[in-house]
Amino acid sequence: MISRRTVLQNAGAAAALSFAPWREAFAAHFEQSRSAPYPPESIVTACGFCDSACGMRATVQDGAIRFLQGLPEDPHNEGRLCAKGTTAAWVKNDPDRLKFPMKRTNPRKGIEEDPGWVRISWTEALDTVAARFAEIRERYGPEALLAISRSSPAWFARLFSALGMERVDHNDLCYGVDIVMQQRTIGAHSFAWDLENAKCIVLFGWDFMARAKLSLANRLLHARENGARIINFNPLYTPTARFCDEWHPVRPGGDLAVALAMIHVLLKENLFDRDFAEKYTNFPQYEAELRTHFEKYTPEWAETESDVPAPVIRRIAREYGTSRPAVAPLHKKTLAANYENAAPMCHAIAILNILAGNIDRPGGHYFPRTISIPALDTIYPPPAYPRLPSKRVDGREKLPLAGSYGMFSTLADGMTRVYPDRVKGIFWSGYHLNSFPQPRLLAEALKKVEFMVIVEILPMDAVYFADIVLPNTMFLEGSDVLSRTYNAKSPFVVVRQPLTAAPFETRSSAFIAIELGKRLAPEYFRKADGTWISSSELLDEQVRRAGIAENFAEFRKMGFLAREQPFTPRTTFATATGKCQIYVPEFAARGYEPLPSWRPKRESPSPQFPYYLITYLPGEHKRNSTQNNPILMEISGPMRVQIHPSTARKHGIRDGGPIWVRSRVGGITALAQLTETVRPDVVVVPHGYGHKSPWLSVARGIGESDNDLIPALRIEALQESGNWLGSGCIMDAVVAIEPA
Amino acid sequence: MNNCGRLGAAAEGVPAMTSYGWLFDPKRCIECSACEAACKQWNQVETGVNVRWRRVLRRESGAFPNVQVTAISMACNHCENAFCQKVCPARAVWRRGSMVLIDSEKCVGCGQCYAFCPYGAPQFNPVTRKTTKCTMCFDRVEQGLQPACATACPTGALKWGEWKDIENRGSDRMPGMAHPRQMQPRIRFVTEPWRA
Repeated sequence: MISRRTVLQNAGAAAALSFAPWREAFAAHFEQSRSAPYPPESIVTACGFCDSACGMRATVQDGAIRFLQGLPEDPHNEGRLCAKGTTAAWVKNDPDRLKFPMKRTNPRKGIEEDPGWVRISWTEALDTVAARFAEIRERYGPEALLAISRSSPAWFARLFSALGMERVDHNDLCYGVDIVMQQRTIGAHSFAWDLENAKCIVLFGWDFMARAKLSLANRLLHARENGARIINFNPLYTPTARFCDEWHPVRPGGDLAVALAMIHVLLKENLFDRDFAEKYTNFPQYEAELRTHFEKYTPEWAETESDVPAPVIRRIAREYGTSRPAVAPLHKKTLAANYENAAPMCHAIAILNILAGNIDRPGGHYFPRTISIPALDTIYPPPAYPRLPSKRVDGREKLPLAGSYGMFSTLADGMTRVYPDRVKGIFWSGYHLNSFPQPRLLAEALKKVEFMVIVEILPMDAVYFADIVLPNTMFLEGSDVLSRTYNAKSPFVVVRQPLTAAPFETRSSAFIAIELGKRLAPEYFRKADGTWISSSELLDEQVRRAGIAENFAEFRKMGFLAREQPFTPRTTFATATGKCQIYVPEFAARGYEPLPSWRPKRESPSPQFPYYLITYLPGEHKRNSTQNNPILMEISGPMRVQIHPSTARKHGIRDGGPIWVRSRVGGITALAQLTETVRPDVVVVPHGYGHKSPWLSVARGIGESDNDLIPALRIEALQESGNWLGSGCIMDAVVAIEPA
Repeated sequence: MNNCGRLGAAAEGVPAMTSYGWLFDPKRCIECSACEAACKQWNQVETGVNVRWRRVLRRESGAFPNVQVTAISMACNHCENAFCQKVCPARAVWRRGSMVLIDSEKCVGCGQCYAFCPYGAPQFNPVTRKTTKCTMCFDRVEQGLQPACATACPTGALKWGEWKDIENRGSDRMPGMAHPRQMQPRIRFVTEPWRA
């Protein structure tokens, strides 16, 4: 039982540590770089907060970034940036930034411990990491090493593969389920939706207006301008709802019932694209099964599960079925990981799109047209990689059809209960402690890890569990070639290039991976002629082989490359049968359901926890990474939990007053915001608050993490509950509230 | 780095005769606050002291489920009849062309301008003990650029331009906003609905 007192104490976090000498060093550094003034310069680069990678035009003056704005030629963001991108220089120039490699001198780990950092040289840092990793691998085998990192940059991926290390990432909390579902139903995953040419758009929880992901938000904006009919199912009235003709406050998790009922109506009334279905899908083969399967999902039934009136569902299904093109976009977190019923939800939405005949058609869900950039392993083929451990700490191999992603939701349980004492060495990069469900469980597990190295930009919470800290460059200091996929009816490639030199002793991820590779697995980091591979040569080769430019320096001058090409719809699909699969035989073969069936979300309100929990990502922040940016923090303000006024009255909670939200695994306190824009049975909590690191001078101690309310998972529970694609259930909780 | 200092000399280059204003389309606003972020980024406005020259205001009406939300991005409207200028005891508020500016050297931080402004545009900075506000990015305008906020707005909800092009477009009223008769603010609101 977590008492309110502990909750409040933890929110207050530990006392601030003195950071003064480094702040002075910081000021001196930037004074120096300003001493040689030169006229403002406009440089093309690409944002790196989210994977849209919007083109940027940067004004650099006297060695400092004066202003960042969108690249006008870029079809992704149409020449604009969101608040995150606009103020990205604040991350670069953050006085709290990690500046030098450091080692821990206090063996006790934890957010409340002073690590006793001592500045060390890069040589010492890299040698230490290499020596400790080699020692752990020698003594306990490669399964004792774990990478908590994305698959990019490719340099890291090579390092992990060369060491035979298991890697976990966040995809179970993100689009993992949808990736698998798209691969099985339409052959490849794609987040490209030609909304601007659609006539009817049905949004299940899709909310990229409020998230300000411009590559997607602009598409809906243009759909609205073009007079599309837009229907929105969401328990919250968000800015997206203002762009919609209708908003239906669906019961959390009930979206699936609506989608199933829509399929029922489309089949029953034959309102699907029969031509497409017969030519390009396995509909003819499985027509009987389909009709029988969806027979029971009537709109009348769906009303009882979703609170959307049956006549409304029927009308919307008919509109969707008779408008061409019609589309139901799904992207990432929107229902792909929210609840335990994510798998049938993603499947049902895929079927809605296939039945609308919109797969790779104008106005539909299409596959991006890109210029393919050869990967690191293509340009420098590595020797065969060692085999990865057959049993993963996160247990993903127990879900045979789940994709090749990691699972954050089960990691803490894997490290402490399933395989206690297995993980001895961790390589951590690009993630934050608060991104994990029940971050405290993982924090406890990290305390016991013998050796952890972290590659970070800011002194985030996870740094407090590291033995060696390697200060990383951020995207405004890096180089890359980015071929984009979000709005890609014709290819567009943009450059990423350093606007100013990397400050202090920060180093790129490529430098870190190559230097560690040289020490730990040199054969994987040599070219055929025996010399070391280098990141600049890789970029030159990538640019040259992709036919973009002679070399990277040339491409830097160009900034971007747009290739006009006509859109030729695909006629074969990369599934096992070459057709879009409504009925997925591979699922049936493995004993899973080949067609989506109704299942409720895991948790429903009870007398003890009477409210649904909804979390959301504020558009002015990128997850957990931008809260130390004072401009963005001022915009987002203190943490506010949204509830309906009638709910507030019941509990004596007043607008702006303190509120205590607790689920079965934890509690948070925040300020209440009363609003008519939410269902009376939901409690809405923003994501991204609750940093505890005393070195984050802006973010520390503001709000608490929504993930303190989200139960971490056990792999057995996933198997037993039929969560067979491993949705991280990032919203599947119920909560109680009272005034704090 | 800080532009909040004396603005007088630097604003000389702004074409004196051209009037500028804002055009806002509430139905396009996604509340992303890129306008406020860009404003702060360009003007290096002090953070953490609640000085927000531009901000997105949100107004709810109706009751669940028939709720409506209007969001507007609001900064100084550089009123034709600027009350801040009239009430400033230090005569720190002055005009260059159509832009209303506060001379920080003359400002005594008394808060009169703030008290009389119905848009909350002038804001007191407790650190410098001066009142500052939106300058319509005169330094950008001087270089032929748009103000930072209008440059940033991703959906085209906030636009900026010559007042003669804006004046007769849309409405001068917005529910919840002070009646424009007295101030004659240089802002208009697009009222046309989306194309059906």
